[in-house]
Formats: sequence, structure tokens, C-alpha cells
Amino acid sequence: MSITLDKITKSYGKQIIVNDVSLEIKTGELFVLLGASGSGKSTLLRLIAGLLPADNGRVSLDGRDVTDLPPQERNTGFVFQNYSLFRQMTTAQNIGFGLDIRKQPRALVDKRVNELLQLIGLDGLGDRMPWQLSGGQQQRVALARALAYQPSVLLLDEPFGALDVKIRAQLRQNLREIQKALNVTTILVTHDQDEAFELADRIGIIEGGKLLEVGTPNTLYRRPQTRFAATFLGAANLIPGQRNGTHVYLGKTSLVAPPQTDHLSGQPVELLIRPEEVELALKREDLQGQLVGRGIVQQVGFAGPFERVVVRLDDHNFEPIQVLLSPEKVRSLAIEINSPVWVGLRDYHLLPANCP
Amino acid sequence: MTSYPLNPTGNISLPARRTQPSWGKWGLRFAAIIYLAAFVAVPVIVINVEGLRSGWELFWASLVRPAALNAIWLTLWTAALMTVINVVMGTLTAYVLVSYRFPGKEILNTLVDLPFAIPTLVTGVMLVLLYGPQTPIGSFFDKSLGIKLIFAPPGIIIALLFVGYPFVIRAVQPVLLTLEPNQQDAAQTLGASDWYTFRRVIFPAIRPAVVTGGLLSFARALGEFGAIVIVAIRPQVATVYLYGQVEGGNMQAASAVSVVLLLIAFIITLTVDLVESRRHA
Amino acid sequence: MREITPRKPLHFFILGIALLYIAVLLLAPIVTIVQKALANGFQPVIASLSEPNVIHALQVTFVMTLGAVLLNTVFGIIIAWVLTRQRFRGRRFLNILVDIPFVFSPVIAGYSLIVLFGRDGWFTPTVFPIVFALPGILLAKTFVSLPFVTREVGPVLATLDTEPEAAAYTMGASQWLTFRRIILPNIWPGIMYGVVLTLARALGEFGAVAVVGGGIEGQTETATMFVFRALNDRNNVGAYSMSLLLGVTAIVVLIVMRLLRRSIVREQTAYVNHT
Repeated sequence: MSITLDKITKSYGKQIIVNDVSLEIKTGELFVLLGASGSGKSTLLRLIAGLLPADNGRVSLDGRDVTDLPPQERNTGFVFQNYSLFRQMTTAQNIGFGLDIRKQPRALVDKRVNELLQLIGLDGLGDRMPWQLSGGQQQRVALARALAYQPSVLLLDEPFGALDVKIRAQLRQNLREIQKALNVTTILVTHDQDEAFELADRIGIIEGGKLLEVGTPNTLYRRPQTRFAATFLGAANLIPGQRNGTHVYLGKTSLVAPPQTDHLSGQPVELLIRPEEVELALKREDLQGQLVGRGIVQQVGFAGPFERVVVRLDDHNFEPIQVLLSPEKVRSLAIEINSPVWVGLRDYHLLPANCP
Repeated sequence: MTSYPLNPTGNISLPARRTQPSWGKWGLRFAAIIYLAAFVAVPVIVINVEGLRSGWELFWASLVRPAALNAIWLTLWTAALMTVINVVMGTLTAYVLVSYRFPGKEILNTLVDLPFAIPTLVTGVMLVLLYGPQTPIGSFFDKSLGIKLIFAPPGIIIALLFVGYPFVIRAVQPVLLTLEPNQQDAAQTLGASDWYTFRRVIFPAIRPAVVTGGLLSFARALGEFGAIVIVAIRPQVATVYLYGQVEGGNMQAASAVSVVLLLIAFIITLTVDLVESRRHA
Repeated sequence: MREITPRKPLHFFILGIALLYIAVLLLAPIVTIVQKALANGFQPVIASLSEPNVIHALQVTFVMTLGAVLLNTVFGIIIAWVLTRQRFRGRRFLNILVDIPFVFSPVIAGYSLIVLFGRDGWFTPTVFPIVFALPGILLAKTFVSLPFVTREVGPVLATLDTEPEAAAYTMGASQWLTFRRIILPNIWPGIMYGVVLTLARALGEFGAVAVVGGGIEGQTETATMFVFRALNDRNNVGAYSMSLLLGVTAIVVLIVMRLLRRSIVREQTAYVNHT
């Protein structure tokens, strides 16, 4: 394991910022810590880097217990949201700083700085001062600076937060390539679930200082274990029901219970349905997934590449269901407000009713 | 993807472990405390202990002597009058320096710091040369208006005005600079006059800074010596009286007046600290 | 606030009052001293400033001022650091202590040194004298100019972005190295500004130095005390010449201050504009 956190806790006064977090991250993995602002994700990153002392728990990097070591001796690479380049040093001096600290020979430093400048696509800009670079370029220099001395782990704190959307997409791509090429174990902190989906090998969802759930993007999106993860990672319809035997009962409707939910048998549950997994049809037999019932279209709205449709189910008093359909599908069904439709589900998932 | 040139070129390790200076933190704190204790706290304590060493009665007796009382009174009223003028003129100057565009502004902005830079003794010399009894201005005031400038309270006030001028300006100017122009624009679009805008929008924002600057110039005036000893060795303000007592070896009298001046200065420092910390809160 | 070009009569009236006040209060005295001192040309000024006791006074002033500036710069930075970067009980009290020399009459400061180290003082020194001697002058000058470096460096340190420091720490830089390479370049203009103010204050100090130094000609006499004695001795040429020299020095100090302040502002705006 490249990074091992064992019951890390940090509070300020009475407020617990990071609460009993344990986590193992494999060598070469890109792990994304996802959470809202104030969730404790940045604090956790600083605890790993040693920029803050933990109240409790142990941190190991590359099998070395670093809990009692200052940041200087943890050998991490840290990239800050606002780049935090040394503004009185050139780009090359910034990148070479960690190597100078490690007393590497001049020639080697120059060579590696040039390699890194090439890697981040800024060759020839080594003599520029930070303020002569664009935001995206500064961000890349910050990345190169953190990688120059081959840290045992790379820690990124909202690295793209201050950049505009286009540059952000491009830099994510670069980061992913560089990270894989160097096989450096990485933790990236963000509040942006798209960023998490695009980059992560695994995602950890943090809320109120607690690490709620860890998993691959796919698992967390489709088979979350917590209500928070379900709603934080995208739009979700949550419908209360009861799982009994092999079925889930929603009022008068029953659906086959999804696999691996036997432990919820006999319990009140919530059915998680992603809007893009809902099917609408004019005739009942056109549905391919499981039938839920009939409904009336309440709203149709433009949502970029999709149309957002809201359907109220007949004979049920739960919240109207959000549906995402392709424009082509909307046209072929001739859906408008007050159209009656049949509603089916291609995929769904169960959560225990009282989960966080 | 394997063609990146960056795969390890050697094991880069950190230099051997340095001693981690938590002692450094304590050392710095210790140094700061010792330095301030030696240079600031000790003189304050020494003066107070010395002043009260011979008991309250002697302290009181040396304080209520007419010469001492007159000196303290002269110091207080000249300093207070100066502060009133200085607050008005300092605020006005700061306002002009921030909100008007005019040629020579940069030079003016430099010039207002002159009293910080020039030795106050030299200030005294300059003022005597300009307003002294033998000068055209001095003799005009004396002969035609019957007002003595130098060796009289007006000279003291002029000297204090010179010395205290930058305090209000330098306190108010930064606050004016950070004022949102939108607020003034909003007031103007609502039909407020310039004076009304200043009174209701600008002044409330700069009031704490005006108070701070005024108090600091007042405190400075209480302690001022160099300029006044030249401008008016008589009538004596408190510091000049103090100097005379020390020179004459009359330590008890010197100590008593010192304690009173220190007390006032200390109250002012605490007030400024309070105003400032409330402003930044 | 927005800068406007004066248009209305009211604007010109306000501007006029400010200009008049500055002219009367600040400019007129300077013009007068220049005029008086140079009434008979440069020759008498140079002659009176070349007298041995004047040169000695200048030397004493220079060396003692330098000592005070050195002490207050080193400790001023340390105090500013401790006050802005450390949290401990009594920090607020320490913060108030720093300002006391601003409001403490220099005469009292000098007097406290006499009480402490004078004849029949609390600790009369046996190795070397302090009162009526150079060490006393150094102590007096240090006391009166103590707050400036702390008060200039403190706000800069308090508003300095600490993340570059954190970055340096994660890269393995020790605290001292981080201070030298990362922090010092950023607070340098603030330090220099504080040094210039300290210099001006220590150079021009009179009250404290007069009390503690005694103004012994050729020994503990400083530049300002020479002016005082010259006036008493009716040596007007000497007094005005030295006043002129001190005044010119003050104006040089002012210009340096302005340039430094401008470079601080420029650096800050350059940084803001590019981020």
C-alpha cells in the first residue's frame, strides 16, 4: 500500500473536521476525495502532507510511518489550488527547488527541469516569471514542481478550481496521462463530480469529516451504499418502499429486487433510480425494463444534449419522477405536458431507508 | 505511454534529518518577549516604582506643586486644541490626497510625511526662525495684534500641529482608498449633496481611523519635547518641566509627572488597540 | 474611493485650503531654514560642519543610530513574526507593549535609564558607564525607534499568502531556508521601509539622548544636541548649518520612503493583475 490512513482525526476546538478516517491506496492509483466545501477533504490532504498535525491516528506513506514527521520529511508532492508558485523565482527555479533542497548536482537539476518543462508542454518558458504565465500554465508548473523530486505520493488540492472550463478539461487529460506514465500514487481533492468521474481510479466521498463511501466511479454511481453518495454524484429519484422476499414493494407496484440486496430483506428501503435509466413508452408492451405503472407528463424541458421530463405516477403519492430522454425519443413519443405514458425502469438500486 | 523521459534517473533522497526546531519557535518567542521586556516593560515599571517609592503623600505633594500642575495643564490643553485642528485638517488633507486629481499630488503626498522624517529639534529651530519675535511675522503678531507666537502657547500649538500632522492623514488615507465608489455613486444618484454624502456615507466609514489618528497625535503631543524646548522653554509644558527637574536632580518631582504622563499615554494606547481590534473584527 | 478632477468651486475651495495649510505649516519653515542657513552661501556652512567637535557629534550620531537600526531590525522582524505567526497567552499584551515607545515621552525614557543605571541608580554598572556615556545613547535611540520595523513588517507578514511556505515545506525545505528563500523576498520592501523610519527616528532623537547622554562636548554630544548647545551659545551659524544638514537628510529619507512605498504598491498590483 502506498498510502495508509488509520483512524485519522482532527478537530478545531469542539468542531471535528476529520472524523476517524481510515483508507488504503494502492501504488499508482489515482484516488479522488470528493466532497462539498467544508467537508474536511482539504484538511485530510494537509494531514497526509503533514502541514497540519493530526489529533489521532497514523499516516503511512510507502510503508513508512510518517505520523510524527514534519512535512519536510514526508516526501510528498503537493499542488495547491492557487498554484502557490514562488513568485520571485523563475519557472525553472520553481521546478528545480525540491531538487536543490535534495542537493542534486546542477547538471542533473537542469536536465530534469528541462524534461519536466517538456512533459508539461512549456519547453522554452523556463526563464519566465510566474506572473508572466497564464493560470493554466502556472498550474502545470505547480504540477511539475511537485513531481520533480519524485515524491512518494502526489497530493492535489482542487488543482483546477480557479481555471475556466475549457482549460480545465485539457489539464485533466494531461494530468491523467502524466500520472499514469509516472505511475505516481495520487490523491486529488475536488468538489466536482465530473472531475472525479473523469480522473479517478477510485473515489472516496467525504462529508462532515467522515469518509462515507469508497469505490470505483461506476460502483459509486450505480450501486452506492449511502443516500448522500447517491444524491451527491448526480440526479437521483429516491422512492420509499419495502423489500420482502424476492421483491421490492412500492405501494401497489412490485419490482424484482436487484441482486446483492438480500441483506435488506424485510426492511424499509429506498429505491434509487437514475433519470437516464427510466423508460417511457406509449404502450405497455413497448417497455423493455420493469414496469412501474402509468403516469402523466408534468414538465418537459431542455437540458442540453437531453430533454428533462417529469412524470407523476398514477395511484402513487411519491414525488414525481425525473427522466432524461434523448430529443429523438421525445419526438418519437410525441411527449408534451399532460401526455399519458407508461413508465419502466432499466436499472435501479436499493438503499436501506435510514442510511446517511 | 512508456516513452516519457522521466522514469527515475536515480534515487533522490532527502538530506539527512535536520533537528526539527520546535525549540526555534520557543526561541523566537522568548527573544521577542525578552527584548520587549527589557526595552519597554522595564522602563515603564521603573518609572512607576520610582514615582511611588516614597509613598503616595510625597507623590501627591510633588504633583500638586503649581509649577507641575501648570505644566501638565498646559500640555493637556495645547495638545487637545492641536488634536481638534489636526483631526479636521488631517481628514481634509487625506480626502484631497485620495479623491482629487491635480498636478504635484505625488510631491504633496511625499511632503506630508516630512514631520516623521525631520528631527523635532530641527522643527523647533525652523519655527523660531519663521515666527520668532525678530521675524516679520512674529513682530507683526506681537506689535499689531498683541499675540506672542514663540515662547507662548500659540508657538507650542504650531509645533505640535507640525509634528502631529501625518498621524491623522496616514490613518485615514488607506481607509478612504478602500472605500467602494459605488456607495458614493448610489448616494449621488439618490440626490444626496456632496456634504450629505460625506457626512452620511464617507465619514461613518472613516470615523474609527479618524479617532485612531487623533488619539495617536494627541499621545505624541503629550510626549513631544524636541520642538517645544526650542519654541517655548517657557511657559513649560510637562516634558520641559520634567527635563528641568531631571537636570536639577529633583528626581521625586520628575517621577511624579512621568507617572501621570505615562498613565495618560497608556490609556490612549489601550483605547487605540480597542478601536483597531474592533475595526478589524 | 474614486479620483475626480476638481470642477465645482467647492472642490477648488477644499483643495485650496489643503494646499494653503501644507504651504504654511510644512513648506514655509523649510524655506526659512534654507534661506537662513545659506544667507552667506555654502562656505560658512561647510566650515562650521568641519569643526572637530561637530564631526565627532556626527560620528557618534551615525554609529549609535546604526546600532539602534541593527538591533531594531533583527528584533523587529522576530517580534513581528512571533506576533503574527504564533498564538499564545499574552500575545495581545505583547502587541500593546510594542506601541508604547510611540506614546512614551522620550524624556521619560531617558529618565528611566538614569533611574536604572545612573549614580545611585538601581544597578549602577561597574564595568563601563551607561548614563552620560555612549551605551546610554544607544539604549535611548533603540527605545524610541523600536516599533517601526515591527509595525511595517507585521501587516505584510499577516497578509502574506502562506501556501508558498507550505509548498516549500512539502518539498523538503527547512523553516530557515523557507524563511530566507520564500518569505524574506516578499517582506523585504516592508523591512526596508521600517528600517528607513527607524533610521529617521533614531537619527533625529533629542529628548531621550539629551537626558541620558548629558551632551558632553566631544564625547556624548550627538548632532541634535549640538544644535541645542549651539543655540544656547549663540552660535547661530553652527546651529542652522547642522539643522540644514539634518533637514536635508530627512528629505532624502522621505524620498527613499516614497520610492519604497511605490515599489511595494507596484509589486502588489503586478501580482494581483496577473492572477
